[in-house]
Amino acid sequence: MKVLAVAYEEKDIPELIVGTRKFVGDSANIVLLAVHKSASSGDFNINVDKVYLAETSRPEEIVAAIVKLVNEEGVSLIVGEAYKNLRDAFSRVAGQLSMPLITDATEIKLGDDRLVVKRGFLSEKAEMIAEVPLPAAVLFLPRFVKAEGVEGGQPVVTRLEELGGDSKVRLVDVKPKEVGGANLEEAEIIVGVGRGFKSREDLEMAFELAKLLNGQVGCTRPIAADLKWLSEDHWIGISGKRVSPKIYFAIGISGSPQHMSGVQSSKIIVAINKDKSAPIFKQADYGVVADLYQFLPVFIKKLKERLG
Amino acid sequence: MNDIVVLVKASLNPDMVRVGSDGSIDLASIPLKISDIDRNAVEEAVRLKEVLGGKLYAISILTWGPVASRMKDLKLAVQEALAKGVDEAFVVADDSLTPGDQATTASAVKEVLSKEGIKPALILAGEATIDEVTSQVPGRLAALLGYQYLSFVRKLELSGGKIIAERDLEDYIEVVEADLPAVISVTQEINEPRPPTLLQIRRASRKPIKELRAGDLPGIQMPLRKILGIKGIQVTRKQVIIEGSSMEEIADKLIDALIQEGVLKI
Repeated sequence: MKVLAVAYEEKDIPELIVGTRKFVGDSANIVLLAVHKSASSGDFNINVDKVYLAETSRPEEIVAAIVKLVNEEGVSLIVGEAYKNLRDAFSRVAGQLSMPLITDATEIKLGDDRLVVKRGFLSEKAEMIAEVPLPAAVLFLPRFVKAEGVEGGQPVVTRLEELGGDSKVRLVDVKPKEVGGANLEEAEIIVGVGRGFKSREDLEMAFELAKLLNGQVGCTRPIAADLKWLSEDHWIGISGKRVSPKIYFAIGISGSPQHMSGVQSSKIIVAINKDKSAPIFKQADYGVVADLYQFLPVFIKKLKERLG
Repeated sequence: MNDIVVLVKASLNPDMVRVGSDGSIDLASIPLKISDIDRNAVEEAVRLKEVLGGKLYAISILTWGPVASRMKDLKLAVQEALAKGVDEAFVVADDSLTPGDQATTASAVKEVLSKEGIKPALILAGEATIDEVTSQVPGRLAALLGYQYLSFVRKLELSGGKIIAERDLEDYIEVVEADLPAVISVTQEINEPRPPTLLQIRRASRKPIKELRAGDLPGIQMPLRKILGIKGIQVTRKQVIIEGSSMEEIADKLIDALIQEGVLKI
């Protein structure tokens, strides 16, 4: 069984190797294609058959590299993790090579000529188990396994140059995304803010609460995308981040499925909202029906007193 | 070659999922609705129709059966697009194509285009649909048609037969220039979709919706994916409302509850 593993971030390399060995078996022959940041990480003394490097993040060029390697290597499974650039590239590869593609997979199981896959469905309210024929492509949710116990090795490393790809799409400019230093994936306590806040200045209360509890501030889509009160690295939900803190405070958040799918794995959810019929209260462990402008200052004061 | 096609999906509505006590979910009981981001695609398509001056078509492939009980929701989704300014719509609904998969949807769109002799300059779609959120169909379609593909576009300009687009990629924004024809997937930031007016809705009822079956589309790719099971994820949240006679009392009770849960250390 030959597997092409396409790494995007540096940490994808050990994860894809551990994940492939876990789900496909130790005998899997892994060909690693490292693109974007993973291509310049340098340490390729790992237990795979071959390594190819393509220092690009452009979907067009990643498509060209994958198709070239699938044809040359005779691959029956292509795996990667679900970043936007790879969603784009994998969808085109799947169309071009007419193979099934499963995105956001959490687990796969290999049959004779079939693959059984598990993925989230319906805003993470359900899980789908489906079967597709091989060859197939799979994009796992990032961090789908722990990158532990990668064995060493001496694979041949080849650099792929001048991939070209789709030359009719010309690059005019690359702009960085505004980053506000949030690191929500690691946070144990997250204070989530929504449209219940009336101005950007008022978010100061949320930051004060987060600081007090050694946590971070997250937000819903409108706060980051429409109002731009916070940078996009604060955005939690379907198009934003998925988080799993010990406490998620949903403050002035109504509880749309698009947002809630991103906080489902929180241990405890606390909702603060003045509208007692807001759907958030059905999805929270503890609810406070109150105007956040009245409750938050008191809550912060009490916490300060009790924390000493 | 100035025509535009917009893809519209009647998606399972994630707000209407009911999980049985045994964790089961009956997909047939979940109503379909137009996928939210498709509204942005339709809005953008109507705007670009003014620039290009051709016709605007909507194509919708039914993913979730059975056809008999889904036609109403499917037509409602398409009628919203017609009301917004789409000229003509094609729907593909066939029980042999449900439950569908992304390969089937992309190939069905390609087959409708070739059967109807439509050679669009632009094909627009939402970046993902709300039920499965795979972002696959536009990329697959572009590959099948040999079109350029611009994904996750949040800003779009069209002049002199050239596209300038801003793509919202994983960790940066890419500005690109491309020629027509192209497939473009849009994000919700691209515009603010306005709901159709009553007059628009009334006029739309006279616009044609052509229904097609699998037999009308000889080159269609039958679904490769077999769904073995759908399981509801039961999130059992406690749903305790903390009450008290003052904000101070409520705050204290909330702090106590969080300490009790072992998630707050004081």
